[in-house]
Amino acid sequence: MAEKKVATKKDTEPKIGVYVCHCGSNIAGTVDVPQVVEFAKGLPAVAIAREYKFMCSDPGQSMIKDDIKQLGLNRVVVASCSPLLHEPTFRHAIQEAGLNPYLFEMANIREHCSWTTEDHGEATEKAKALVSAAVKRIYLHQPLEVREVPVNPNTLIVGGGIAGIQAALEIADAGHKVYLVEKDPSIGGHMIQFDKTFPTLDCSACILTPKMTSAGSHPNIELMTYSEVEEIAGFIGSFKAKIRKKAKFVDESKCNGCGVCIEKCPWKADSEFDLGLSQRKAIYTPFPQAVPNIPVIDKESCAYFLKGKCRACEKFCEREAIDFEQQDKIVEIDVGNIIITTGYDPFDPTPIIKYGYGKFPNVVTGLEFERICNSVGPTGGKIVLKDGSEPKSIAIIHCVGSRDENYHKYCSRVCCMYALKYSHLIKEKTKADVYQMYIDMRCFGKGYEEFYQRLSDEGVTFIRGKPAEVTDRAISEEEKGKLIVVGEDSLLGTVIRVPVDMVILCIALEARADAKNVAQLFSISQGADAFFIERHPKLDPVATMTDGVFIAGCCQGPKDIPDTVAQASAAAARVLALISKGKVELEATVAVIDEEKCSGCRICNLLCPYNAIDFIEEEEVSRINDALCKGCGTCVAACPSAAITHKHFTTEEIMAEIEGVLV
Amino acid sequence: MASVRSHESIELLTYSEVIEVSGYVGNFKVKIRKKPRYVDEIKCTGCGTCQEKCPMKADSEFDFGIGKRKVIYTPFPQAVPNIPVIDRERCTYFIKGKCRACEKFCEAKAIDFEQTEKIIDLDVGCIIVTTGFDSFDPTPISQFGYGRYDNVITGFQFERMSSASGPTGGKIVLKDGSEPRSLAILHCIGSRDLNYHEYCSRVCCMSSLKFAHLIREKIPDAEIYDLYIDLRCFGKGYEEFYNRLQEEGVNFIRGRAGEVTDIAETPEEIGRLVVLCEDTLIGRQRRLPVDMVILSNALEPRADAGEVAKLFSISRSKDGFFMEKHPKLDPVATTTDGVFVAGCCQGPKDIPDTVAQASAAAARVMAMISKGSVEIEAATAIIEEEFCSGCKTCIALCPYNAISFNEERKVSAINEALCKGCGTCAAACPSGAIISRHFTTEQIMAQLEGVLT
Repeated sequence: MAEKKVATKKDTEPKIGVYVCHCGSNIAGTVDVPQVVEFAKGLPAVAIAREYKFMCSDPGQSMIKDDIKQLGLNRVVVASCSPLLHEPTFRHAIQEAGLNPYLFEMANIREHCSWTTEDHGEATEKAKALVSAAVKRIYLHQPLEVREVPVNPNTLIVGGGIAGIQAALEIADAGHKVYLVEKDPSIGGHMIQFDKTFPTLDCSACILTPKMTSAGSHPNIELMTYSEVEEIAGFIGSFKAKIRKKAKFVDESKCNGCGVCIEKCPWKADSEFDLGLSQRKAIYTPFPQAVPNIPVIDKESCAYFLKGKCRACEKFCEREAIDFEQQDKIVEIDVGNIIITTGYDPFDPTPIIKYGYGKFPNVVTGLEFERICNSVGPTGGKIVLKDGSEPKSIAIIHCVGSRDENYHKYCSRVCCMYALKYSHLIKEKTKADVYQMYIDMRCFGKGYEEFYQRLSDEGVTFIRGKPAEVTDRAISEEEKGKLIVVGEDSLLGTVIRVPVDMVILCIALEARADAKNVAQLFSISQGADAFFIERHPKLDPVATMTDGVFIAGCCQGPKDIPDTVAQASAAAARVLALISKGKVELEATVAVIDEEKCSGCRICNLLCPYNAIDFIEEEEVSRINDALCKGCGTCVAACPSAAITHKHFTTEEIMAEIEGVLV
Repeated sequence: MASVRSHESIELLTYSEVIEVSGYVGNFKVKIRKKPRYVDEIKCTGCGTCQEKCPMKADSEFDFGIGKRKVIYTPFPQAVPNIPVIDRERCTYFIKGKCRACEKFCEAKAIDFEQTEKIIDLDVGCIIVTTGFDSFDPTPISQFGYGRYDNVITGFQFERMSSASGPTGGKIVLKDGSEPRSLAILHCIGSRDLNYHEYCSRVCCMSSLKFAHLIREKIPDAEIYDLYIDLRCFGKGYEEFYNRLQEEGVNFIRGRAGEVTDIAETPEEIGRLVVLCEDTLIGRQRRLPVDMVILSNALEPRADAGEVAKLFSISRSKDGFFMEKHPKLDPVATTTDGVFVAGCCQGPKDIPDTVAQASAAAARVMAMISKGSVEIEAATAIIEEEFCSGCKTCIALCPYNAISFNEERKVSAINEALCKGCGTCAAACPSGAIISRHFTTEQIMAQLEGVLT
């Protein structure tokens, strides 16, 4: 027996292979790789050290695999780039050779060394230190098991604009259940507010409503309009969502959408859909093609709720669908994945006082112009001034709130094109002169440049320069009673004054006012521009740092409709892949609590950014949910009783690593 | 790339081309030609000895001709799979019948000069076409001197020059090996140009800014000129990058260059390239003497896009790129069910947009797979065999290749799964043997009568 035990111990005695990568000249150009290899050979427990020009290439990986088999290596260190890039590659490789994938350590001698250290000698010394640290640390590594959890095939999609609708249809068409949550009474988002779409000039509602109807009638889509997500718990594969269904005061199962209630309602309020340019009733659907076609009562403007009498809608409703006693309902659903498609807010140009928005009635925003231009909009599609007359000249000012240090530094990506579209619509409907005041014409999509060419031929005046001011102070006869756009024509190099009747401000797209709350709710992050951040800007544009939570459309950054649709489908693809796999692998380097040492102080509960730690009341200890823990280590560092251990980041391992660096 | 190679559900067919596609959504039959590598993929270990020993060199396609490769080669060190191919056109053995150095040194005995092409038949349900773009060749724009002046290079060549594993080891150098003191980057070469491509190539502004940044990093005191029409920095973080470059001291000149010449007018210009342009912001002609000119060349449809479109029965738009089913709401489907497009073969786009589109195409395919069946158009055409004279007129006309000829019965037959109900055959059939369901002669006549009441 004793003999056998000794033999086993000998088997598990660490036998480390060290592989140093040249990464072409990325590393070898600065670091003396052969020197590092020689150094590594002398480190304790290192059985072999080798170098290769690209360790990540097939021959590089084969080198490691062969050594594992032939030399019986049981731990592998690769000194190369950031583990963010190739850790999975190498873990997979050593697994193929029969090792536990966690018996692997990467020393980052590229980003942390060769790219940042100019002196070759210093860089080589630093590379040695990093290799030594990795070797010391891996000596203490234990095999870890990857855990799998099942994936609930249901999906929650938050936001019913074009992105949400597209993602919902993709997933539902594949045969899986989708809950589509929308805070407004109807799905459709911003796209349904637009008149035409660039550059094809399709009627926006005409191309969107078929999708809206499909979403509304799809057997796999459960529409939850006038609803908001209140709480999210759980983790990839099994989220629990609490959704507040706001009281519509109309029984959805009885209402047949006949519209009599709306007709009979004597009370009016500003229409949100028409941006206050028209009025709607107190019981209303936001627009005629609303999906679902069920009205809601706006408590704030309803005479019954305000003064206790009226009930006209109730009186005339043949279906007896009006229910003034209706309460908000909280619905709980279980889903495996979440897609966030909450869209954007249009920038409010009021703070840019020099453009006179809010002061001059004929200075309007782009979105307002969309409604003015729309045949079911407040003016029946006529382009008119506030006094009802037709404008003879219109200025379109680009980049209002975008490319502006004072508001948003970023470019809003769609304004150049919608500005061109406005020019076309104005030319089509009026005889007005059109002036486009731009910085750069950004017509980058398919058919966009061609559309710009077409507009140039339609006789639009393009003026390069961001206007300084819109004023009504005339200095000549011609300017009297007009709005004068003052700016610099940077191509002529002169200051110009353009008298016009109407000014359209091409306002920026900005992150929604509640983006911060949404980010917190779903444990995702926002960038400096306040839009949600994707996992990788190039290669993972729809995932987030929280597994199982995806983003698509303008909540990630301004984009046009085709790009939004592609992104929404991309998010759906990610979800479908998870559903069809049926299970997910979870991070193995998680934290564990030694319950005997836990004093129950709950400090860790509050600090955990992933809400992974619960307090067990009966036992008065904290416990970590493996599936939620991302292995960040916050709790480990904070625990006053040192009761929490971080697998692969134990105190011993970290001390060993530090010792290694200091050689 | 490494994941693709090692993924158990992916079979990589490199150095291969699709030569025939038949069938319809859910049931495509695809013929693939696997070109001979002259290297046995099973035996080759990718050690690279053959490449080292090969005595013959050729221009590297991967480096856009500014570097060399051997005649037995992998295009770049991290190639997947890491198995070399022999370039038959340039191999001494194939040309003159002797050499075989690679064979001599190959320990795995993987070299096989007798290898021939293989035809592989595959059955698939859906097809995603991701054939990408070609970089525009600026030679025809002779005023920019590409091909005439050594130090006028394309953006793609600059990418390779700037790459650490590229032909210059990442050094930005002139043909004579010296470091340029001043460089001009010319935007919109072949894009936004009625003579070449009317469209904007969408990525060149940003790649030009990136070039400027790389130059600034590697040659800190270089004078850099960026000649643009409009700076199109529309993506996430792009405008911010443009601002950063302005702070890094790049000279942005708004104006398309007129000419690149070596005719000097001042002593300062002697021995240099002079970029002639109009600076539209100051309204003046300028002459910029520089050492190197980088042409940010357009992305254009692949030279074989026409053949590929025919092969997969998809359409192309006016610009030559493949056409999506709907520009706004169906950017990855095509008018042929089961065939999807993604990436630059549909139009120029940057990496994030390409990745999103690729995933979108995958979503469409996965939805079909998990549904397991597809519904097919019911209003298709049918042939009444009794009336069919077997003239085959319909076969040649059908845009969906849905009609075949039954040799035994000497009549044409329509494959309902392929027929899209367009009615072309019904209109063309000289015997009136084809009926387009729901568009029968009676129905159309009745409709006309209705209109005329």
